[in-house]
Amino acid sequence: MTRLVGRRLLSSIPVLFGILLATFAIARLLPGDACEAALQERADPQTCEDFNRRNGFDQPILTQFGDYLGDVFTGDLGDSVRFRRPVMDLLVERLPVTLQLSAAALLLAVVVGVPLGVIAGYRQNSKTDVATIVGANVGVSIPVFVLGLVLQYLFAKELADTPFGLPPSGQLTAGTIPEPFYDAWGLEKNTVFDFVANFDLLNAVLIWRWDVFVDAAQHLVLPALALSTIPMAVITRMTRSSLLDVLGLDYVRTARAKGLRERVVVVRHALRNSLLPVVTVLGLSLGTLIGGAILTETIFNLTGVGKTLFDAIQGRDYFVVQGFTLMVAVVFVIINLLTDILYTFLDPKVRVS
Amino acid sequence: MAVEEIPLAEQHPTAELGPTVQAQRGLWRDALRETLRRRSARVGVAVLGLLVFLAVFAPVLAPYGEREVLIESEGLRPRTEPCIHVSVDWVPDVVVLRQVESFLESNGFSCPSAEPQHLMGLDGNGRDVFSRVLFGARVSLLAGVVAVSFAVVIGTALGLVAGFFGGWLDNVLMRVMDVFLAFPALLLAIAIVTARGPGLFNAIIAVSVVTIPVYARVVRSRAISVREQDFVAADRALGVSELRILTHRVLPNSLTPLVVQGTLGIATAVLELAALSFVGLGGDPDQAEWGRMLALERNQIFTSPHLVLYPGVMIMLNVLAFNLIGDGLRDALDPRLHR
Amino acid sequence: MTRLRSGLVMFVALGLVAASCADDDEGEDSDDGGGGGDFTALAYDESDQCGQDPYTGNLAQLEAVDELTVRFTLCNPDVALPAKVAFSSVGIHPAEHLEETGGSPIDNPIGTGPYRLEAWEQGSQIVLARNEEYWGDPAPTATVVFRWSEESAQRLIELQSGAVDGIDNVGPEDFATVAGDDSLQLIEREPLNVFYLGFNVDTAPLDDELVRQAVGYAIDKDRLIENFYPEGSQVADQFLPPGIPAYEDGADAYTYDQDRARELLAEAGHPDGIDLGPLSYRNEPRPYLPQPAQVASDIRDQLSQVGITVSLDEQESGAFIDNANAGDLGLHMLGWNADFPDPTNFWDFHFGEGGTLQFGTGFDDLHEVLTEAAGTVDEAERAALYAEANDVFMQRAPAIPIAYGGSAVAFKAEVDGAHASPLANEAFAAMSLEGQDQLVWMQNGEPSGLYCADETDGEALRVCEQINESLLAYEVGGTEVIPSLAADMPEANDEFTEWTFELRDGVTFHDGSALDANDVVQSYRAQWDAEDPLHVGRDGTFTYWGALFGGFLNPPPEAEA
Repeated sequence: MTRLVGRRLLSSIPVLFGILLATFAIARLLPGDACEAALQERADPQTCEDFNRRNGFDQPILTQFGDYLGDVFTGDLGDSVRFRRPVMDLLVERLPVTLQLSAAALLLAVVVGVPLGVIAGYRQNSKTDVATIVGANVGVSIPVFVLGLVLQYLFAKELADTPFGLPPSGQLTAGTIPEPFYDAWGLEKNTVFDFVANFDLLNAVLIWRWDVFVDAAQHLVLPALALSTIPMAVITRMTRSSLLDVLGLDYVRTARAKGLRERVVVVRHALRNSLLPVVTVLGLSLGTLIGGAILTETIFNLTGVGKTLFDAIQGRDYFVVQGFTLMVAVVFVIINLLTDILYTFLDPKVRVS
Repeated sequence: MAVEEIPLAEQHPTAELGPTVQAQRGLWRDALRETLRRRSARVGVAVLGLLVFLAVFAPVLAPYGEREVLIESEGLRPRTEPCIHVSVDWVPDVVVLRQVESFLESNGFSCPSAEPQHLMGLDGNGRDVFSRVLFGARVSLLAGVVAVSFAVVIGTALGLVAGFFGGWLDNVLMRVMDVFLAFPALLLAIAIVTARGPGLFNAIIAVSVVTIPVYARVVRSRAISVREQDFVAADRALGVSELRILTHRVLPNSLTPLVVQGTLGIATAVLELAALSFVGLGGDPDQAEWGRMLALERNQIFTSPHLVLYPGVMIMLNVLAFNLIGDGLRDALDPRLHR
Repeated sequence: MTRLRSGLVMFVALGLVAASCADDDEGEDSDDGGGGGDFTALAYDESDQCGQDPYTGNLAQLEAVDELTVRFTLCNPDVALPAKVAFSSVGIHPAEHLEETGGSPIDNPIGTGPYRLEAWEQGSQIVLARNEEYWGDPAPTATVVFRWSEESAQRLIELQSGAVDGIDNVGPEDFATVAGDDSLQLIEREPLNVFYLGFNVDTAPLDDELVRQAVGYAIDKDRLIENFYPEGSQVADQFLPPGIPAYEDGADAYTYDQDRARELLAEAGHPDGIDLGPLSYRNEPRPYLPQPAQVASDIRDQLSQVGITVSLDEQESGAFIDNANAGDLGLHMLGWNADFPDPTNFWDFHFGEGGTLQFGTGFDDLHEVLTEAAGTVDEAERAALYAEANDVFMQRAPAIPIAYGGSAVAFKAEVDGAHASPLANEAFAAMSLEGQDQLVWMQNGEPSGLYCADETDGEALRVCEQINESLLAYEVGGTEVIPSLAADMPEANDEFTEWTFELRDGVTFHDGSALDANDVVQSYRAQWDAEDPLHVGRDGTFTYWGALFGGFLNPPPEAEA
């Protein structure tokens, strides 16, 4: 186990270095600079020259890369040129938003997708099967921004005054400033606490404010719903084919031959084992969602990693682009690792080998 | 990550490896038949067929030109609502058709035959949306296919080399692929297009580059299993050149997962191209392309929903078709699912 | 003035202040006044730098004459000083606070305004709370919340769902929806901007004046306004929009005349048409151009009707600005929003001496008349000079002005005092909503920082205007300059080189400290002197200072080309 983890982490290092190099290169290849992006029509060459000089962007590119590399090794991801705050601070602020959204979307996808996949797999090639598969595929085929807009229209406008009305965007109702839990508990603020407190749902629970929790949850429903259609199709498909796999295996036939009721056969014997590959998919999906949530974040005005990265690319905020991409990659590596470890625990075959 | 899941075929690489190219052809015919046996795949093929039909016959079917601006010639404002001539005399007096008629009328879509007909209304520049949807089929269908083809060719080459020859070459190539895979696909595509400039061509390049690692990975794992096989050792003993082994043994055996992944990849590519247009990197607004048409009008979704709806539905159909076909192919090519 | 002399003056002035205190209705004692001796007036005399390299600015001296009097002395006459002093970038901050924050109060500004900053949830919202100690009428609404979204459809739906009470920049197609909705009110904003088609006059075939004029006649401006602009937009007949002083009524402009266009082309040697290459633009909605792609497309169509071929070249925003600055664009679309209501704000940046390279090297005759106009004091003379500029501009045609883009804000119908400002300076202290002690406003984007000295984005300026005030201000919903922290309009000498402001008595900042002339001087000094330790800001560009006062003291050396 430790060997697996160790080997994985070790092989991640060159990849992370490669990512640093690639992001740096891509960021600097973008035409124009942060000064022009900020000043727009008012940008003039003299002002921007001074700006670049003050921020060290006029140094030779290798020097800049060397400096940056050194900083990263000491944990300093640089400062956002736009906000004049450390990139790490921005990350602590925005990563939880995306993680919360992705987790909610994944939860929805599992809650809907797994039963659908089981139904489809159980009645292979029947009308139900076809309808389920086509339905799940339609969900993933609708561009998420179209779906988001439609959902907004439906729930925020048409159903606005009904109990089904939902807010169209944002994280919390305007003017709500929930107290971070570390303040409520009288704890000293630090990075980890700050990170945890930025998960609105969790923080609301920790400060025991049910109204804030409901508010946060209501704001999360529509974006999570829109985003969930992407992994839902994959999970449905995966569950279905995995179940079909397992249903054809010997021990299932044995169970049936023994005369066990069909439901027992499916649920107790087949289902558990068929869910194993789904776990792998969950891990991969979470990774995809974190990076891919940018469209949902834009439509629903959630300031998460995706939107911040996109804004930073447009605004040529180099350190944000570099730092955030690196962090997303790190998160991705961690998730992959955890998924593999989880899989190892769940699948006895792999454990034994 | 650009890959959605590990295809089952990759999980079980020893399945259906065949020594000869000849046997492969029989496999393809069976696979096709098997695919079409699945109903959902049939739906996909039908939809794709419809789209291809529209693309091919667009010049004939389209009432107006792709770039024809109608502001002066018809005196209509941009974003005019759809206007369908329902009360035509030759429509038979069938109940269903009459119901359709009254539905259209009550929703304001019908218009007297004196006014020019625009089935899907006019876009933001006063051009006929229906015509542009038809012409857009050509570009939108091709764009996804081209993006994936490009990625498949390069990815396959990389994967073959890495998987078959192994060693440090494999290591280096795969690390580079890992670096690309670690980037959120859409954001990497955005960065590439921002660097090169908006436009469909650059968007296709960006989407290709982002998905190359997926195919490289798929082909590599196949190549690794193939190189251990007896018939390869036999070939070597017989003095067959490495290149020939690559092209005649490894490549044919890698095709099945490639085809599946590629078909599904077209679906993803189309969505990513639409996403790139959505964030404003689509380029030429005159060219009819579904993603671009949708992106240009997205702020009018509540006031002129027809401008978002029709291109959106077309994109959805495009993606759906390839998803269903890809699904069907995957099921057909995995022997363990045959009952 | 030296410190010693200023002390003497202060002593005298104190006497006068004490005398006037006796007449004061409020009967309040000013905090620092009367005691005497506490106040060490700040004064800076840089008049020896006037006109000397590298100083290009117009400010010569800045001094706190006494606790409540500030004097500006200029190198050259500037009749537009009040309009400049009213601008948000020269809002007044407490000198101590500027020092505490190292010249960078970007997320904790302190001002004298009707609202103070309560919280800034980065990425989500900015919450302002009413300043109960405000020197003027306290704001009716206790809390103002700023939110933002780039999508106009999203802003509208937030308004319609009741989640916000007012939105900025209603989409052009949504005007009808809002106007037709009884629960909402649509308020149009007078256009103080210009959209133009620009030429780089150095590159062929755009270097031929006749070709440029032909383009001018080929554009059907009415069709563009009619189809791609919201209500309230107007056809542009000159570079300045109406509402800017020196706007010329009935100026000569290019009319839509396809025959004339073809004639000119033929005269220029292109009877069968001409290919002008790429028409560059960026797909970035702006008040002067809410639908860039659609307009570009239509312009291409219009030009093709007289035989002028262009290819659409959509560029990414950052790249586009970069190319514009470097003079690498040929035929292009761009525009300009007014910062402060003065013709120099529009003309000088684009076509003045040392202006942008966007249009190439420019024209000497245009340079001359603009320089003269900027230095002229007499209003009538100024107007005449700018009218002359219009004529030269039309003849030379480095750009064809096309439209003044209207925009609008929308509020819930019940919001009292809802208004739109032509300078995008909405004052929330004038608004109230019955039964609600919180007003939520949604604009296009998030401020990057709240220290307005170093911000250029209207999104940031609107927020910090609620918090910080300047010596003068623009009237609510208009462009007229009125007193603010200065009790009255300033007194100027005959040459318009010396301006004296008397501050209001008894004004306190949000942190309780009293406003005095030193705060004013320090707030200005931090921007004026590039070597001042407080010259930090957010990104250190202090862009508006250059536009208002010409240049910095001790500017950083110009790098080698």
